[in-house]
Amino acid sequence: MRVIVRSFAAFLRAAVGTMLQYRGEIILWAIWGLINPAVLYAIWSAAAESNVDQTLAGFSRGQFAAYYFCIMIIGHFTTAWDAYELGYLIRSGSLSSQLLRPILPIWSALAANMAYKITTLAFVGPMWALFFWIVRPTFDAAPWQIVLGIVATMLAGLLNFLLGYVVALVSFWSPKLDAVGEAYFGIGMVFGGRFAPLAALPGILYQAAYILPFRWMYAFPAELMMGKIKTPAEALSGLTIQLVWLLGIVFVFRFGWKAAVRHYSAVSG
Amino acid sequence: MRYMRAIRLIGLFTKVNIQNLAAYRFDMYMRIVVSILHLISELIGVYIIFSNTQDVRGWKWQHMLVLVGVYRTVAGGIRIAIVPNMRKLLEDIREGTLDFVLLKPVNAQFLVSIREIVIYRAVDVMLGLSIATYGCIKLTGQVPVAQAIVFTATLAAGFMIVYGVWLMLGTLCFWFVRVQNIEMVFWNVFEAGRFPIDIYRESVRWTLTYLIPLAFITTVPARALISGDMTASPSTVAWGFGLAVVMLIVSNRFWRYGLRHYSGASA
Repeated sequence: MRVIVRSFAAFLRAAVGTMLQYRGEIILWAIWGLINPAVLYAIWSAAAESNVDQTLAGFSRGQFAAYYFCIMIIGHFTTAWDAYELGYLIRSGSLSSQLLRPILPIWSALAANMAYKITTLAFVGPMWALFFWIVRPTFDAAPWQIVLGIVATMLAGLLNFLLGYVVALVSFWSPKLDAVGEAYFGIGMVFGGRFAPLAALPGILYQAAYILPFRWMYAFPAELMMGKIKTPAEALSGLTIQLVWLLGIVFVFRFGWKAAVRHYSAVSG
Repeated sequence: MRYMRAIRLIGLFTKVNIQNLAAYRFDMYMRIVVSILHLISELIGVYIIFSNTQDVRGWKWQHMLVLVGVYRTVAGGIRIAIVPNMRKLLEDIREGTLDFVLLKPVNAQFLVSIREIVIYRAVDVMLGLSIATYGCIKLTGQVPVAQAIVFTATLAAGFMIVYGVWLMLGTLCFWFVRVQNIEMVFWNVFEAGRFPIDIYRESVRWTLTYLIPLAFITTVPARALISGDMTASPSTVAWGFGLAVVMLIVSNRFWRYGLRHYSGASA
């Protein structure tokens, strides 16, 4: 345990250093996370205003603004790219050296992930404030909802990171399967409530979204923070379900990782 | 004579690129799968939006299908020749290998614009055009033959604008060598063209029409293909064409200016 903590701290320091070195390029990655929710806010608020009662799926224009403001922030803190990257690490052979270390490669991936989120904050933070100021969202959240929303966002970040990593394990069997990362991302967009709030999903998509884990990564923390989830009981049961998913995915990871490493044969030096 | 030679060169580069592709077939299939996934997600998006509302600022689901198709067509077209060539140009400037291009007895701007042709991206164009045509048929009950000419013209104008933007971005690389990630900025802005610009507020719409002419790249061609009261007005089409010509001239001037600044690899 102490080894893990000390190594992780070292990984994190190194990763922050690397990110600061490439700060210009990293900011370019972060821009998408700003533009995409802003564009989706525009389409949904325009759609809501075309309806007679000025609302859509129970959201007014101001509530769409609040929802996408939350999604913008949650999207930043939950972002993970291992589903795309692990295949490349295997193809290029750089995973081999990571496997020699007495600590799982997932820890250095987690450190890089956290370093990205911390270092880009100085750029995206002011942009969030700007978006807030332009779109004037209607929030009706009490302090407890915001506090629990922050907890839910952190759990959501872990959830997306771990599930993405588990999905990425497919690349041990087929390292050129780039479509896996794209499909994982697209499914998260639709069923997580990033493209549209879950209440706006039609019939079968709505039912699928309630079974799949993605709503606990985006829609749940967003609805909590904007005040759509009214009772503490609802909020606490949501947090519990997040934890259950998290434990389940950790369990799958432990087995999946063992099987993957057993299957691993290095591609190149 | 000169034109024959240009066409022969394009043919030659296309042939070489197809031969290169044959060596990386799995990669090609994978990319086609990914672009089909993107198209599916865009169609699901339209389905979700219009299961909640009849129209968005005058755009009905059929109109939106046309726009999705046009967006895919343009995105595919850009990836056939514009982006791959500019990516190679940026790489050549950085590595210093642009010298080899400049030494050839062909116009340098022409040569840097035709070296890479990713022919399988035509799949995107075909899928996009099919979706757009389907949207038109659902709207009027017939294939939009009459609109096809204006549509092709606006589409060409859109590509000319994108090409001009890219040539200028590429030329910037003569001064700022490390701008290779500029491609990401381009696609990020392009993302806003997935939806009609009418959904944005006045100031954003103005910006996307005059400052960053995204409107002429997706919304205007889509409107040109749609008949009825949503169709693009002749003045809009003319504006787009004028802008395209201006972009070509300005980018050509800028390229030549940048080239005079280029001091070669060994400097």
